[in-house]
Amino acid sequence: VSFKTILQGNFNTDETSILVKECIEGVIGGTDYNHNKVNQWTANIVEHSLTHLVKQGRPFKYIVNCTIMQKSGAGLHTANSCYWDTTTDGSCTVRWENRTIYCVVSVFAVAM
Amino acid sequence: MDDFMSEDKVGCSVETVIGENSYKHGRVNQWTTSVVEQCLIQLSKLDKPFKFIVNCIIMQKNGAGLQTASTCFWDNNTDGSCTVRWENDTMYVIISVFGLAI
Repeated sequence: VSFKTILQGNFNTDETSILVKECIEGVIGGTDYNHNKVNQWTANIVEHSLTHLVKQGRPFKYIVNCTIMQKSGAGLHTANSCYWDTTTDGSCTVRWENRTIYCVVSVFAVAM
Repeated sequence: MDDFMSEDKVGCSVETVIGENSYKHGRVNQWTTSVVEQCLIQLSKLDKPFKFIVNCIIMQKNGAGLQTASTCFWDNNTDGSCTVRWENDTMYVIISVFGLAI
């Protein structure tokens, strides 16, 4: 069994989804949209998510993206496209909402 | 990464796909897909040893607040990103490109 095989991990979408949902709940669970705090919220969500991902110690580079939008009837659409190695790299997107906020977090993991 | 990353290339893709169109719920899906595809095609044509991630957000202008943030765990010497904000009368478009060295 080669050393490389032991280190190589495939990205686990389900586990990451759960991790991200917990980070979101932890930062904005139970709060209403607040223009003054939004900056802080997005920064905290991406930082907490990244910290937990890195702690897993897997051989990946990560990009975590968070979008928060006030619920006011506007339409919002997001899309992403990736040019990478489909056997080792992966992504996962989590959509969360409460009464006044929509939150979309995307995690991209690129094997080293 | 920064030496070839050009905001113009991305801005061009958006102009070509959306241009002066008004926000239309039925077409937005198509637009986001086309914009990310166009950008990715242009980037892969550069033939550099990078993996790319292109992210696009389109929001209707109606007074709602929107905030986005990204954080990355990578090699600061070789990897990089670029974000382009574009708008017309009825919508905001935000495109982020991340390039990771192979």
